[in-house]
Amino acid sequence: MNVMAAMRETGDLDRARQTLEIEELSISYGRGPSPLRAVRNVSLTIAPGEAYGLIGESGSGKTSVAYAVMRYLHGAHVTANRVALRGRDLMRMPVRDLQGIRGRQVAMVYQDPLSALNPVLTVGEQIAEVLRRHRGMSRSAAWDRVVDLFGRVHLPNPSAMALRYPHQLSGGQQQRVVIAMAIACEPDMLIMDEPTTGLDVTTEAIILELVRELRQSIGASVLFISHNLGVVANICDRVGVLYAGQLIEEGPVRSVLTEPQHPYTAGLLAAIPRPEARQQRLHAIPGRLPDLRQVPAGCIFKPRCAFAMAACDTMPPVTEVAAGHVKRCHLDVPATASMEAIPRHVTAPASTGTPRLSIEGLSKWFGGGVLLRRDSDAVKAVNDITLSIQPGQTLAIVGESGSGKSTLARCVAGLLQPTHGRLLLDGQPLAATVQRRSRAEQQAIQFIFQNPESSLNPHHTVEEIVGRPVKLYSDARGAELRRRVIELLEIVKLDGTYAKRYPREMSGGEKQRLCIARAFAANPSLVICDEPTSALDISVQAAILNELVELQQRFGTSYLFISHDLAVVQHVADSVAVMYSGRLLEHGTPEQVFSAPHHPYTEALLAAVPRLDGVRRPRLERPTAAARTGCVYHRRCGRRLGEECDTVMPALRRDTAGHALACHAPADVLQQLQA
Amino acid sequence: MRQAIALRARSSVAPADLVAIGFAVLIAVAVVLGPVIAPYSPTTFHPEYALQPPSLQFIFGTDEFGRDIFSRVLSGARPTLVVAFSSALVGVTLGTTTGLIAGLAGGVVDEVVMRFMDALMSFPALILSMLVVVMLGTNPVNVVVALGIVFWPRSARLVRSVAVELAKRDFVDAARSRGEGWLYLLGRELLPNVQMIVVVDLSLRITYGVLLAASLAYLGIGVAPPTPAWGLMVRDGQQFIEIAPWIVVFPCLAVALTAVGTMIVGERLRRGVTLPGGERLR
Repeated sequence: MNVMAAMRETGDLDRARQTLEIEELSISYGRGPSPLRAVRNVSLTIAPGEAYGLIGESGSGKTSVAYAVMRYLHGAHVTANRVALRGRDLMRMPVRDLQGIRGRQVAMVYQDPLSALNPVLTVGEQIAEVLRRHRGMSRSAAWDRVVDLFGRVHLPNPSAMALRYPHQLSGGQQQRVVIAMAIACEPDMLIMDEPTTGLDVTTEAIILELVRELRQSIGASVLFISHNLGVVANICDRVGVLYAGQLIEEGPVRSVLTEPQHPYTAGLLAAIPRPEARQQRLHAIPGRLPDLRQVPAGCIFKPRCAFAMAACDTMPPVTEVAAGHVKRCHLDVPATASMEAIPRHVTAPASTGTPRLSIEGLSKWFGGGVLLRRDSDAVKAVNDITLSIQPGQTLAIVGESGSGKSTLARCVAGLLQPTHGRLLLDGQPLAATVQRRSRAEQQAIQFIFQNPESSLNPHHTVEEIVGRPVKLYSDARGAELRRRVIELLEIVKLDGTYAKRYPREMSGGEKQRLCIARAFAANPSLVICDEPTSALDISVQAAILNELVELQQRFGTSYLFISHDLAVVQHVADSVAVMYSGRLLEHGTPEQVFSAPHHPYTEALLAAVPRLDGVRRPRLERPTAAARTGCVYHRRCGRRLGEECDTVMPALRRDTAGHALACHAPADVLQQLQA
Repeated sequence: MRQAIALRARSSVAPADLVAIGFAVLIAVAVVLGPVIAPYSPTTFHPEYALQPPSLQFIFGTDEFGRDIFSRVLSGARPTLVVAFSSALVGVTLGTTTGLIAGLAGGVVDEVVMRFMDALMSFPALILSMLVVVMLGTNPVNVVVALGIVFWPRSARLVRSVAVELAKRDFVDAARSRGEGWLYLLGRELLPNVQMIVVVDLSLRITYGVLLAASLAYLGIGVAPPTPAWGLMVRDGQQFIEIAPWIVVFPCLAVALTAVGTMIVGERLRRGVTLPGGERLR
């Protein structure tokens, strides 16, 4: 914003030097006396070649800002002093001129690549069409350019790829096609709206690398919208933090992420699970996003701020704390999230008694023919997995999408019937499907799903949702049942008054708490958590993880915790299993798995996680599909030894400390390579 | 609660609602009070007044036996609508149950059940209902059964298409993994989520029920002559169409207006319905 002031003084000539200027942008939705004021007075500038990260949680208005720049917001009330692209005001431009600008000078990459592509055209044709229209290229010239572009976004075999339809590509490939389309006309400005959300970390790493590379080669400015601070740290030069529609902090990325000045930014950073703070509770920002129909006159963050004071009832000024680093806060010292170092994890020594759950040689194959069962045709979603969970402990299963981790969870829950192998609960054999299990066995195993939206019946009240398992597994009725429901709601820190509400009247975090309450209503001994926080914001995730850890300590429950987020896994797990293409590749304590020597696949996963300090680790693997012969990972492996890897699947070998690896390379060799 | 208020507030403003409410009231009055408010007996012969054109005394005119058409049309509302409503209820109940089971079970059950439904649907509605009535014996109860069978596969298809999507949602898996039985899954997890669609479907089936009941009566199936059924009145009156067109025109108008009326009420319901979670029914 100081930049803005300087520019006003130096006059209009300098203005053209900025690629994008947004001055006092406000967006509101709905009419009537109290419209939803989604974005208020946001000003920012992006210099040529600069990458600007706009971060914020869901509902903060970051996507609205991007759409307003593209002038895609119909039905919203958009006001701004100025939104200009290379000095040309987009706000007052006729729609006809605007269409020339979209795609040619500013292009957008959306979060969901599949919805941005036309399913009935080949991906090559879609981009060729853009080139013919905007660039007036001939049919053959456009096609040559498409093949060239596909090469630049590192799609394997570009000329064959261009002839495919969107559904024939993987998620990462689709996103690369969308990026190719965005850069086709060499725009000055790329707007990327959460381009890697929903992709695996390894795919994300490849896309981020690509964006960095393209920035250099085409020199475009980037407006990068994300909720993932690590991603922004890796991609952006400057970053703006958006909270409830207001820019509350802005500055060079290193400075903002290492020395956050605003209490909200500090809180967000503290909410990220870190390996070094494994024994502590995560910092969760209390409260929830304010109602933007009634925007207070003072600081918007005040109700949730630990540092709130009397002055906060007036709008805080924008102050510069370091070169180019500004904050909108009354506090004159850097905020630190009050990190109460509450210890947790009274880690029980890995007990040697009967495991709560044993998974023995479990396989789940799909297809392969019903009459003539040909094993070679079957998709081996889960292949010969043996694992166990001790009482009160957490076994985490990590892997990319398609690794079979969710299939394994559904087999344990009895929702899928395994092809081979068996399950033991407290040493007793467990029937394969839930229908054939006894009431006590059904009660013992409960499930928490990834998406709270879809796992709650919209027609059931909170009371019905939590009360149902109580009714099913106990004799509590009437007043006793109601008392138990209130008790369960209070355990997950939901108010008793929620009992009569419907799920739609609750926030995402509250819904997931409700799902936890439903699972614990059964008094289970094992809870399967299938990506319980991946649909939630970071600050909400922290609260949910704290909740799960607390409940585990209180009730001695075992968790089978499925996740693709290594930081989360590191925070909650007592033991970690790494799966790839249905196979178990590594198993051990978090310390064993997350430090060398580890399996080359684990190594690749860890290297792909974008780090807050922006340090990048070299990527070793090549992105290809899993192999059907030999080691499942050999085609991607960066540590491939030789022919043995191509022909023989290595057995899982366990060392004396209990660390198991399925790799032909001996542990000491891996140790040397990875140190 | 809040939703119910919102629904009421919305329906009190739009003029389309007044039309819908007007039709609903008109039809209800005819069904409940028809025979009471009819000025003359619908069945007694008055040869001295045969084939009178509409006048102040007989506003819709009289037929060849001197019966007042207005009284006959009013009295005809009840048999027609009772048949239409009951058959819609039978068909939609069968269809909802079948659709929910097929959608939840999936796989072979879905395939077998829905192919049977397709087979049933491949018969033209009128021919199928005629066949059933002729086979079972021609009386109003069997007309209801016949029309119910006609509506069954249509309703089943609609409900199944929604149930298939619902069955993929995690709350169904959550209930399954708790060890809930089939009845609970169908009745408590799926049914509440299709209830509004079912209500709208019901109103649509009533419309078709009115048309089909009139068609069957016109063909002389299910009702015997003295009964003042609209279809039957058209059938008997058509021989006089050149000298006394009012005998045919007014029952036809009654059928058309009732069909349009129930359609408008249904359409209004469909647009007024807000699904839980805020999404609107298409």
